[in-house]
Amino acid sequence: MKVDEIKVCILRMEGTNCEQETYDAFKRLGASPEFVHLKQLEGRDTLDGERRSLQDFHILMFPGGFSAGDYIRAGAIFAARLKASVAGDLVRFIDEGKAIGGFCNGFQLMVELGILPAFDCTMAAQPQAVLHANDSGRFECRPTVLKHVNEGKCVWTSGSKKGELRYIPCAHAEGKFMLPHESQEKEDALYHRLFDEDRVVFQFSDPSGDTSAQYPFNPNGSRFNIAGITNDLGTVFGMMPHPERVFFRNTHPDWYRRRIGSEEGDGRAIFRSVLDYVVRKF
Amino acid sequence: MDISHLFEDLGLPVPVKRVLVINASDEVLRSISDRLSIGLSVEEMRRVRDHFKMEGREPFDIELEALGQAWSEHCCYKSSKYFMKRAFLGIHQDYFLIKGEDAGVVEFDDEHAYVVGLESHNHPSAIGPYGGAATGVGGIIRDVLCMGAQPIAVIDPLFFGPLDLGYQDLQEGVNHPKFIFNGVVAGIRDYGNRIGIPTVAGMVNFHQGYTGNPLVNVGCVGIGRKENMIHSRVGGSGEIYILAGGRTGRDGIHGVTFASADLTADSEEKDRGSVQMGDPITKEPLIHSCLEINEKGLLGGMKDLGGGGLSCVSGEMALAGGFGAVIRLDRIPLKEPGLSPWEIWVSESQERMMVSVRPENVEEVLHIFKKWDVEANVIGEVVEGKRVKVLWGEDVILDLDLDFFTAGPEYCRTYRSKIVERRVDDAPFPQPDRSGTEAAILRLLGSPNICSRERVFRTYDHEVRGRTVIKPAVGKPFTPGPSDAAVLKPLEGSDRGLAITADVNPYFCEIDPYRGTLSAMEESVRNLVSVGARPHSLADCLNFGNPERPDRLGDFEQSCEAIGKFASSFSIPVVSGNVSLYNESGISKVPPTPTIMMIGLMDDINHATTSDLKTPGNIIYLIGRTYHEMGGSAYYQEMGVNCSCVPDVDLEMSKRTMDAVLNLDGEFLLHSVHDLSEGGLGVAISEMCIGGHVGAELNIHEIGTHLISHGSKALRSDVKLFSESNSRYLVEVQPQDAARVEDGLSRSEVPYIKLGTSGGANLRITEREKVLMDIPVDILDHAWRMGLTELLEGSE
Repeated sequence: MKVDEIKVCILRMEGTNCEQETYDAFKRLGASPEFVHLKQLEGRDTLDGERRSLQDFHILMFPGGFSAGDYIRAGAIFAARLKASVAGDLVRFIDEGKAIGGFCNGFQLMVELGILPAFDCTMAAQPQAVLHANDSGRFECRPTVLKHVNEGKCVWTSGSKKGELRYIPCAHAEGKFMLPHESQEKEDALYHRLFDEDRVVFQFSDPSGDTSAQYPFNPNGSRFNIAGITNDLGTVFGMMPHPERVFFRNTHPDWYRRRIGSEEGDGRAIFRSVLDYVVRKF
Repeated sequence: MDISHLFEDLGLPVPVKRVLVINASDEVLRSISDRLSIGLSVEEMRRVRDHFKMEGREPFDIELEALGQAWSEHCCYKSSKYFMKRAFLGIHQDYFLIKGEDAGVVEFDDEHAYVVGLESHNHPSAIGPYGGAATGVGGIIRDVLCMGAQPIAVIDPLFFGPLDLGYQDLQEGVNHPKFIFNGVVAGIRDYGNRIGIPTVAGMVNFHQGYTGNPLVNVGCVGIGRKENMIHSRVGGSGEIYILAGGRTGRDGIHGVTFASADLTADSEEKDRGSVQMGDPITKEPLIHSCLEINEKGLLGGMKDLGGGGLSCVSGEMALAGGFGAVIRLDRIPLKEPGLSPWEIWVSESQERMMVSVRPENVEEVLHIFKKWDVEANVIGEVVEGKRVKVLWGEDVILDLDLDFFTAGPEYCRTYRSKIVERRVDDAPFPQPDRSGTEAAILRLLGSPNICSRERVFRTYDHEVRGRTVIKPAVGKPFTPGPSDAAVLKPLEGSDRGLAITADVNPYFCEIDPYRGTLSAMEESVRNLVSVGARPHSLADCLNFGNPERPDRLGDFEQSCEAIGKFASSFSIPVVSGNVSLYNESGISKVPPTPTIMMIGLMDDINHATTSDLKTPGNIIYLIGRTYHEMGGSAYYQEMGVNCSCVPDVDLEMSKRTMDAVLNLDGEFLLHSVHDLSEGGLGVAISEMCIGGHVGAELNIHEIGTHLISHGSKALRSDVKLFSESNSRYLVEVQPQDAARVEDGLSRSEVPYIKLGTSGGANLRITEREKVLMDIPVDILDHAWRMGLTELLEGSE
C-alpha cells in the first residue's frame, strides 16, 4: 500500500484539542488523515455521507486534550461512549493488525477503554491500569527526555534504536502510570511482565539517559519512569508526552541555542514508523 | 422614598412592569435608577424621561434595564472616549484592516490576518477569582473568534496585592491576595487548558494597591484567512438571528454596571450574582462550529455575547448593518425556569454567540451546530428600520429606537493631571560594599516582581497547537531563564512569525503616569526586539480608578497622551483595547495600570533570538545609555527609598536603537539579546547567565561616562548596576563578529559599551579593579527560581 492511501482517523469529541497538530503530522508525511467526530462513528445526528466506520481506516488516533472536560476521570466519558457504540469494531480493528495511537488524553482514554495494557486480551472489560494525578499535584507543561527502551515490538517506534533519547514535551495533570496493587509481589510481577514482554516503549530520563531520574525529569512520578507502553501485538500504543508538538526542531525547548530550527523534530519518527508499518503490512 | 406605585404590572404571563417616569422629579428618577440597580445618573435618567415623553409613552422595566447596560461606562466608554480619541484612536496604518469591532484585525501576510483582543475582568476576579479569571479568558476568546479567526494564543497580565500580606492587615470584605492569586491562576489554567488554546505570555505583578482590587487582564490573538474575516454586523433585512452555545441564566446579571462602580465591603455578598460561570467544554465545540460555519460562507454576521448580553448584541449588530431587529425572548433556552424577561435580556451568561444567517442557510447552520452538540435556536430576525423590538409571545415588551439606545452619553469630566518634578537626588544611603551588593542582587532576583514565573506558566499549557516557537522559558531545558516575548509560527507552510508581549510597570506609573506609560510602551518594544521581531500593532488595557475623581482621571489622561505620543512616533496602530475604571475599594486604589500588549512580526522564525547566554568566550555589549533615573526602580523599592525621577524615553534614540538591534539580528550577529528592565543591568545579566547556565565577567567602569563629558557627576556603581533607564539591551556577540557589530551600532549613532565576556561558573562584576560582586551562577539561579515558591509556600 502506498503512503497516500493510508487513511488515518483523527477521532474527536468536545474537549479533544490536539487534533490539528496530530492531523498535520500525518499530512506532512503524505498520509490521508481525516477528522472524525465521535458522533460520526455512533451515527447520531449525521446526514448522508457523514457516517463513518472504523473499517474505513488503517490508523486510529486519539489526540490529546480534555475530552468531555475530564471532569469525572481523564478519558472516562470518551471511553464509555466508544465502548457503548463501537466496542466490536475496535476489537476487530486491533485484531486485523491495524494501528491505534494515543497521546496524553488519548493514552488516558485507551487505558480507560481497556486496550492498554490489555494483558491477556485485546480489550479488557475493566481498566487494567490507571493514569493517576501527578505527584506534584499540578498540571505540568514542561520538556521531558524520553529514552526509547523497546526492543522492536512496538510498530510506532520501529524507526528508533533502543537507547535513543528524544526530547518530547509533556502537558498533563494526570499522567502517573500505575498498575494494580493487590500485593507488592503481584504489582511487581505485573511491571516485570510489562518489561519482559517488551511492552514498555518510553521511560522518562534525564539528559544523560538515567531512567531513575526523579522530578522534574519524571514529571508525574510514575513507577519505573514509564512514559509510554504498547499492547502485546505492538500495534496499540499510548504515551503521555506529545510527539505531535515536536514535528519540527523549532518547537523544541532549545533549538535556537544552535540555530537548527528547520531540522527534524524528535516526534516525527513516531509518525513515520507507524506509516512504514502500514505500508508494509497492507 | 416609597416609589412602588410607579411600577405597574402589565399582567402578562411573565413579570413586566411599566415604569412611570414621564412626570418624575429628579429625586424620583434617582430612586428609580437605584431601585433597578442600573447605575444611571440623574442627568442620564432625565434624557431617558425626555425621550419617552417624545415617544408618548412610559417605558417598561426591561427598557430601562437595557439602557442601563448600554450606557454603562463598561459598554459605552462615556468617561474615557474623549481622551482616547484625542490621543491615539486616529493612528492609522493601511495594514490595520478592521477597526472598532470586538477585536482588531491586522494584516499578517498577503493572504492572512491576525486578530487582537485585550480585556479586563477585574471586579469579577476580586469576588470570584476562579470564575472571574476563567470567564475573562472565555470572553476574550469569543471576541477574537467572532471576527472569524482561530484563536491561537492567550496572554494574561495579572496584578495582585502582596502574597505575604499579614491577615491582621486584611480589611473586611477583602480576599487575601494569596487566595485571589491561586484562584485566578487556577481559573486561567482550567479554562485555557481545556479549550486547547496555549497561554503563551503574560505578566504577574505585585503591589500594595491591588490588595482590594486585583487586576486580571486577558488578551487573545487569532489568525485566519483575510477573506474569512467577518464583521460584527448583520448582512441585511430578512436575515435570521441564531443564538448558539450556552444557555441563559441568572449568572452575570448587571455585570457591566458592577464593573462601572467602586468595589465596596459588601460587594462579595451583593454582587456575587454578577460573576459569570465559564464552561470550557461548551466553548471548545462552539469555536469549532463557528469557524466551520464561517468558512462555509453561511454567515451574514457574527458577534459574541459579552457585557450587556443579548441586549447589547441584538441592537448593536443590527444597527451596525443599518437595520433593526425583532427578538422573540420566549425562545431563549434557559438554565432554570422563572427568569424575568429583563433578566434574560441583560444576563451575561457565558459561551454564547449570535449569528445572523440568510433564511436559506438556517437549516445547514443548525445542523453544523447540532453535529458538534452545540445548542442553537432561531430567536429573531433582522428587519428594516432602526428599531429593536422584543416580543414575548405576541406582546411587545421592548421597542427602542436604536440610535437613542446605542448612543450613550460621552463626557469630558474634570481632570487634574499630575505635574511631576523630576528631582535627581543622591541616594540617601551609602554605596554598599561587595557583600552588600551581593546581598542586594540576590534579594532582587528573588523578589516578587522579578523572580521566575515558572510556578505559574508550567501549569498553563503553553504549547498546545504545536506552534509555540519561543516559550515562556528559554535556555537550557531543565534550568531555563526568562523569555522576553513569546514567538508563534501561526501558519502551516510559512516560517513567518508572530511575537507577543505584555508589559507595564505600575511602580513607574504610580509616580509619573506619563513617563510610566512611555516606559511600558518602550519595554514592550524592547521585549519584541529582543526576540528579533519588529513591533507591528498594540492593544491597551487601561486600568484606573474612579473617573469621577479628577486626580484619577488626570492619571488616565496622561497615560492616554503617552500612548498617543509613542504610538504615533513609532507609527504603531492601537488596534484593540479596553478601559477599566472604578478600580478602587474603600481601602485602596490601584496604581495607574496601562497594560500594553504588543504584537511584533518577523519574516523567519529561524532568526529568533533569546536571552540565554550561548557560549563561553563571547563578548557582551551594553547597548544604550544609562542615567540616574532610580524612581520606582526595584533597587530603590528594596532599599525603601522614594524618588520622583522615573526613567524617561528619548523617542528618537529608542527608534534608532530598535532599528540597529533588529538589523544586527537580521545578519545573525547576535547570539543572545536581553533588554534591561526591572533590576537593571544586574538582574538582566544574571538572567542571561541563569538561562545559559554559564557565567560572565563584566567591567562596568565605562557606564555613564557620557554624563561626565556633559558636566554631570559620575554614576555610583549601584546606580550603574540597578538603574532602569529605557532603550537598553545586553547582547552576546562572537569575537570574530565584534567589528561588524561595533561598526553597525556606530553608523546608527547608537551608543554601546563593551562590558566583558561570557564564561566561567560565576557572574563577576568589577569597576576598574574593584570587585563589586562575584557569585556562582547556581546561587543566582536558586534565588531567582525559588522566589515565588517560597512566597507561596514559605510564608504561611
